Amino acid sequence: MKILRRLRYLLRQRQQERELAEEIEFHRRMSGDPRAMGNITRAREEARAVWIWPWLQSVWQDAGYAIRNLRRQPGLALLALAALGFAIGINTSLFTVYNAVAIRPWPVKDPERVVKIFSTDPRHEARMFGGIGIAESRYFASQSRAFSGVAATRQEPVHFGFESFGTPSWAAFVSGNSFRVLGFRMHLGRGVLPEEDRAQSPEAVAVLSFAFWRDRFGSDLSLVGKQVHIDEVPFTVVGVTPEDFTGASDGGGRQDVYLPYPALLLLHPTEQWPRDLLTDAEYCCEFAFGRLVPGVSRSQAAAELEVLDRQFRTSQGTGSRTFTLADSAMFNNPGRKRQMAAAFTLMFTAGMLVVLLACANVGNLLVARASARQKEIEIRRAIGAGRARIVRQLMTESLLLALGASALGLAIAYKLPLVLLNRIGEPGALRLAPDRVVLAYATALAVFACFSFGLAPALHATRAVASRRLPLRNLLLAAQVTLSVVLLMGAGLMLRSLADLRNRDPGFAIEGVSTIAFELPARSYDGAHTQAFYRQLIGAAPGGHFGLTEREPLGNSFAQTDFRPARTPETSRSLIDFQVVTGSYFDVLHIPILAGRNFTLSDKGRNVVLINETLARRFWNGQNPVDKTIVSRQIAREIVGVVRDAHTTNLDQLEPIFYVPFTGFAIPKVLVASNDSATVESIGIAVTRLEPRARMQAAPLRNNLDRWLRGPRLGAQLAGALGLFALILATVGMAGVSAYAVQQRTREIGIRMALGARPAQVVRLVLSGSSRAVVIGLVAGFAIALPASRLLRNVLYGVSPLDPVAYLSVALILAIAGLAASYAPARRATRVDPLTALRHE
Amino acid sequence: MELLPGTLDLLILKTLRGGAKHGYGIAQHLKVVSEDVLDVGESSLYPALQRLLLNGWVKAEWGASENNRRARYYTLTAAGRKQLEREREDFERMIGAIQKVLA
Repeated sequence: MKILRRLRYLLRQRQQERELAEEIEFHRRMSGDPRAMGNITRAREEARAVWIWPWLQSVWQDAGYAIRNLRRQPGLALLALAALGFAIGINTSLFTVYNAVAIRPWPVKDPERVVKIFSTDPRHEARMFGGIGIAESRYFASQSRAFSGVAATRQEPVHFGFESFGTPSWAAFVSGNSFRVLGFRMHLGRGVLPEEDRAQSPEAVAVLSFAFWRDRFGSDLSLVGKQVHIDEVPFTVVGVTPEDFTGASDGGGRQDVYLPYPALLLLHPTEQWPRDLLTDAEYCCEFAFGRLVPGVSRSQAAAELEVLDRQFRTSQGTGSRTFTLADSAMFNNPGRKRQMAAAFTLMFTAGMLVVLLACANVGNLLVARASARQKEIEIRRAIGAGRARIVRQLMTESLLLALGASALGLAIAYKLPLVLLNRIGEPGALRLAPDRVVLAYATALAVFACFSFGLAPALHATRAVASRRLPLRNLLLAAQVTLSVVLLMGAGLMLRSLADLRNRDPGFAIEGVSTIAFELPARSYDGAHTQAFYRQLIGAAPGGHFGLTEREPLGNSFAQTDFRPARTPETSRSLIDFQVVTGSYFDVLHIPILAGRNFTLSDKGRNVVLINETLARRFWNGQNPVDKTIVSRQIAREIVGVVRDAHTTNLDQLEPIFYVPFTGFAIPKVLVASNDSATVESIGIAVTRLEPRARMQAAPLRNNLDRWLRGPRLGAQLAGALGLFALILATVGMAGVSAYAVQQRTREIGIRMALGARPAQVVRLVLSGSSRAVVIGLVAGFAIALPASRLLRNVLYGVSPLDPVAYLSVALILAIAGLAASYAPARRATRVDPLTALRHE
Repeated sequence: MELLPGTLDLLILKTLRGGAKHGYGIAQHLKVVSEDVLDVGESSLYPALQRLLLNGWVKAEWGASENNRRARYYTLTAAGRKQLEREREDFERMIGAIQKVLA
């Protein structure tokens, strides 16, 4: 293949030219002819030109011709660009997100050598991928030969002096070697230094992220060396990270400021946990990452960590673990991999269907146009153009369309991901700016699209024997209908599922309940103080119900811990959701106690729990669980009651959950059985009386439900948008085929009408052409959608993938669209004047 | 003496029919066999060789020359052999026709 040889030459051009120069040099030396000296350059130039020049010239010619041709039919070009551009835009947007989530490494020096470190405890029943403790990460850093450095980090919310309630900034507490392990040029100043990471002498230094420095400090170049207040503690700013560095985290959380680990002692001076975290070898787990020594493979490094881990932990008397190393892409956690792969497979499948649909549509436009250009093509063949040459010419037009569409697609992908991600939450540290990988993807997609919509029409148009009937058009029409059915089915199911979710009874009172979140000055409230504060608050309770809980219902957070009935083996323990609440929580939310009793004040000092029905069924099927004993966190606890199931963690499924009485060690949320601002305010007044510096924010509980529905709603909207796009393209396709049929058969229609055919018969004639393709497409579409809808199983709530309502509506919608698309052409056919028609041609 | 246009490819292919040769070897061969009539310079020889490479009629490999220098050797491919036959027929028809005209 000439094209392959040419491509290989171009790929290795520099080497090829060097070889040619050497060859000519050899020639000159052998001939010993000084006269040849002057010719060397020319010989090289001319020899090189053989590979590129004539080809370039013909490509240029083809491109110019193609542009003139496309400009002659701007409507077609625009339609094709819009359809393909949208399809490629959707796909490239999706890929941009995928790239940011799963491919793009942290922007650091030699990113391929930087890995995230995950530990797994083989004794745990569920395979969980966790981090490692600070002490152990330091041990690794000092002992490992495979890593040039191992660093640890954790994220905590903090407040800068200027921040209002509810908008904390995120501090990444980092080990002293973190910036060296990552390796990048600071935008300003320096990073955190190893000597600032000593628990005995905490240093109040802060490194700001570029975005935070830009947005909150107006890119103040003189900020380095100045003081900022974090949780009321003065810190000295020592540096600003580079612009493209958006953090080193697992899961893409935002990182606004980097502080050395011991700064935790400055921010929480009265609390014990920062001390334990920094010094206790058993305190687990921080997120860890490391830089591999050149030439060391990941499996070697993981094996070394296992050995070091055993050494470290046998001295502590605990069991050993295994390690998994992963690329530094933002969401690259081996525990999430499968779930993420499933979600993206689904989205990419839909995206590719849209591309194929757009291709079928544009392909059909091109077939129609090629038949209009039949004369031109015949002339070109007659004067000696080979079939391959004409196909190439037609393909150049397709490629131009595809590349134009891909430019449009890139423009869409530049904006769309950010807009969509902002709707479900904040995009955090994801770097969504298109990079080379995204560019390559969009181009590859354009080339793929070009061949899938361009090749068949080009080959079809240049066949030696041109047939009158064009089955290719009907084939492409059937393909369009098939793809539309599949996409519309997806949209239908997602919309049905959203409707089901919205109408679902959550099992607890949502309307007429408010939540109040608090912030207490962190430095003066350690565990004991917090506890005292809430005891006082409960005592000072104004009239009306209110309950305390660590986590709001549907608040998008949950906690799990180990759980087993007493007198069962320790190995049988499971991870179960738990909630820390006061007894009044159930009153406020109208969750009835079905058996036993609620928490009471006399439970103080006793280890009691409440369980929900699902949990009761799971472990005490049929028996009464009240008064039974369970073990959790090595403490025996008595079950005092069973509460009715409620969707407090998850609107989709009912999870087993147990409740532990509130003891006041963590800052809870207050649930108030009222939306009345005066009632909510009265609690605020009670709080301010206890602690004037307390800040709080009230919101209706309804907001949580709305937030919870955001994901499914966005999913349904996206699926709906794709379905609508599919419907439009299919309608345009059907209209085009009918119009073409009428045009082709004007003469025949004229004759039939002259012979007395009635309008109804003419309409039937027009419809019969494309209706078979539509019916075949519908049948094929449903045949594919039936098994394919199982892919949606995991994102559908309360709706079967075989939901008959969705299937029937899709069939109905497409039938209506088909009739609507054929209406205008059919009407035109009935108005054909036999005389004009017969004179036609 | 100037070559007839298009004949250099044919002559190179024919030369390589006898076995692999480097560029200088091809020029030498043409010169010797034609008794010094055909003296092909680098500026026409190497573009021609590149053209043959592009069309897949010859392939090139580096090897040691007779005086132990690195040199690029060209060999005829199967496609090149067919091309040689074709060009040779064309050329003979052409020469025959020219001779008829001149006679």
